[in-house]
Amino acid sequence: MNMVSPNPPGSGLLAALTLRRVTIALALAVVVAAVLNPIFVTPFVVLLGRTMVIAMVLLLVFIGLGQWRPSWAPTWLVQVLGVALAVPIATFAVYLPSVGGDVTAVLSHEDRVSGFLLIALCSLIAGPLMTLGAAVRERDAQARNQSLQFALERSTLERQALDARLRLLHAQIEPHFLFNTLANVQELVESGSPQAAPVLRNLIAYLRGAMPRLNDADATLGDEAELVHAYLALMLMRMPDRLRFTVDIPQALKGMHFPSMALLTLVENAVRHGVDPSEQGGAIEVGARREASGDTVVWVADSGVGMSEKTAAGTGLTNLRARLKAVYGDAARLELLEHTPQGLRAQIVIEPSAST
Amino acid sequence: MTRVTALVADDEPLLRERLRSNLARLWPELEVVADARNGREAVELFDIHLPQIVFLDVHMPGMNGIDAARSIARRAQLVFVTAYEQYAVQAFEQGAIDYLVKPFDEARLADTVQRLRTRFDQAPAASGNALDAVIERLSSELRQRTPSSAYLQWIKASVGQSVRLIPVEQVAYLKADEKYTLVVWEGGEALIRKSIRELADELDPERFAQVHRSVIVNLHQVSQVNRGPNETAEIQLKGRKELLPVSRSFVHVFRQM
Repeated sequence: MNMVSPNPPGSGLLAALTLRRVTIALALAVVVAAVLNPIFVTPFVVLLGRTMVIAMVLLLVFIGLGQWRPSWAPTWLVQVLGVALAVPIATFAVYLPSVGGDVTAVLSHEDRVSGFLLIALCSLIAGPLMTLGAAVRERDAQARNQSLQFALERSTLERQALDARLRLLHAQIEPHFLFNTLANVQELVESGSPQAAPVLRNLIAYLRGAMPRLNDADATLGDEAELVHAYLALMLMRMPDRLRFTVDIPQALKGMHFPSMALLTLVENAVRHGVDPSEQGGAIEVGARREASGDTVVWVADSGVGMSEKTAAGTGLTNLRARLKAVYGDAARLELLEHTPQGLRAQIVIEPSAST
Repeated sequence: MTRVTALVADDEPLLRERLRSNLARLWPELEVVADARNGREAVELFDIHLPQIVFLDVHMPGMNGIDAARSIARRAQLVFVTAYEQYAVQAFEQGAIDYLVKPFDEARLADTVQRLRTRFDQAPAASGNALDAVIERLSSELRQRTPSSAYLQWIKASVGQSVRLIPVEQVAYLKADEKYTLVVWEGGEALIRKSIRELADELDPERFAQVHRSVIVNLHQVSQVNRGPNETAEIQLKGRKELLPVSRSFVHVFRQM
């Protein structure tokens, strides 16, 4: 965070009074003096002195207004107008010393009036033009600055996407889940239960879906639905008295591209933080819908214990946010809502531009 | 030999069944008098049946196995059952507490049964201190594993007909609006009932700062602070047009930055 301080004016003004700017202003003063010299009776040195003083005054006005940055008009416009306004005043002021500060002396002398008018006219052309040029340059610099900023943000995003993918590759299948599930399977097998075969099928489907994959460009919402169905079927075997679930994805949305494991993350959260902590358990509903606006909404609702305002978001949700950002940019978001009468509803909203 | 009774507590029915059937084979004289589905039931059923042995799953809904063990304490021989929880296994090992890791095979359970039997043949005086220490250690460990912060992580706000949970890191600023507070975040804005004063206490001071009687700002979303007249200042936010006032008494917030 940087502290921009227009007050006191001295420091900022000095910083902006670069050698480059002073040189340009003085060079311009030399040019104006050289152009006017043949017309004037005044010695060249005096004329040059006057134009140089005017140039410096205009430069100070330009910088001063640049620091001020008024909110009611664009800075460049204020600078151009301010410089134009300063021209006659400054020109008049440089004539005063030569007549000992006598205002009427300037106005009564015809040559001086025409000299004043000539210098003022030249400065009036040169000053605002230079101001405009400088303002445009400043704007360019700002734009360049901003595009660098954007580039930086983009590269940060790319890095975050890579991080998210690496985390995804890292231990996605929780050992706790796996061993508890295997303990259940063991009982089914040892007791010769007919449930053993379908449960093993679900376990295989889950493991296949949850295996880390490097490229999930071809993952679809239909694949994800099958994965979460297998996962929920395994959880149902483990907690038949506490879990109810439905997975209902419209046929038309099953082919839609969808980041792998994104839906599973939400379903795992619903089980782990919603239904499992509750003695009574709860119901999990997985669904998807295309809204009239074209937005696709994919949701996981549970009627579990809900979330307190002080519950820290797990790494699952944080990673999911990062992945959505990496895949969709700003065209997708993760929303958490209270589910009525109790529990939590998590939904991923994907704007039409991003859903294919 | 007197009657030996046991209680089995696990939230997963198949695992209760497996333990029961294995015990029936390995220790036919043992009578499993009750099944509990969570810590609360385990304690209730224990008080009714007073079994000598309790098999306790560590992870159970509501009251977990460790808290149930604290309640049952030295009144029974405890055997903890856990699924791949290294920290728990370590604690049990060090405290010489009986435990089983799911999925366990029958040979491992036979060892446990053997140990329990010898203990019943001798005087049933268990070393209680080791158990207490392990329970305390695991209890605090489990609390840490269910992350809950001292500060607000979410702001609940009504948006349309639903209540949104807005992650605090997405909140740009909060502004008093008569009796309510306006929350402005990446995805929109909403009014909530909490006052600025309550919010100032509940939000993490590392991230949020009150900068005006009626304004709290997310410091991570501030792009620039412009000093103004009379020791006041104005805040510019990343990607937003509006300016937020910083009043005299709060300007010090930005002094060190």
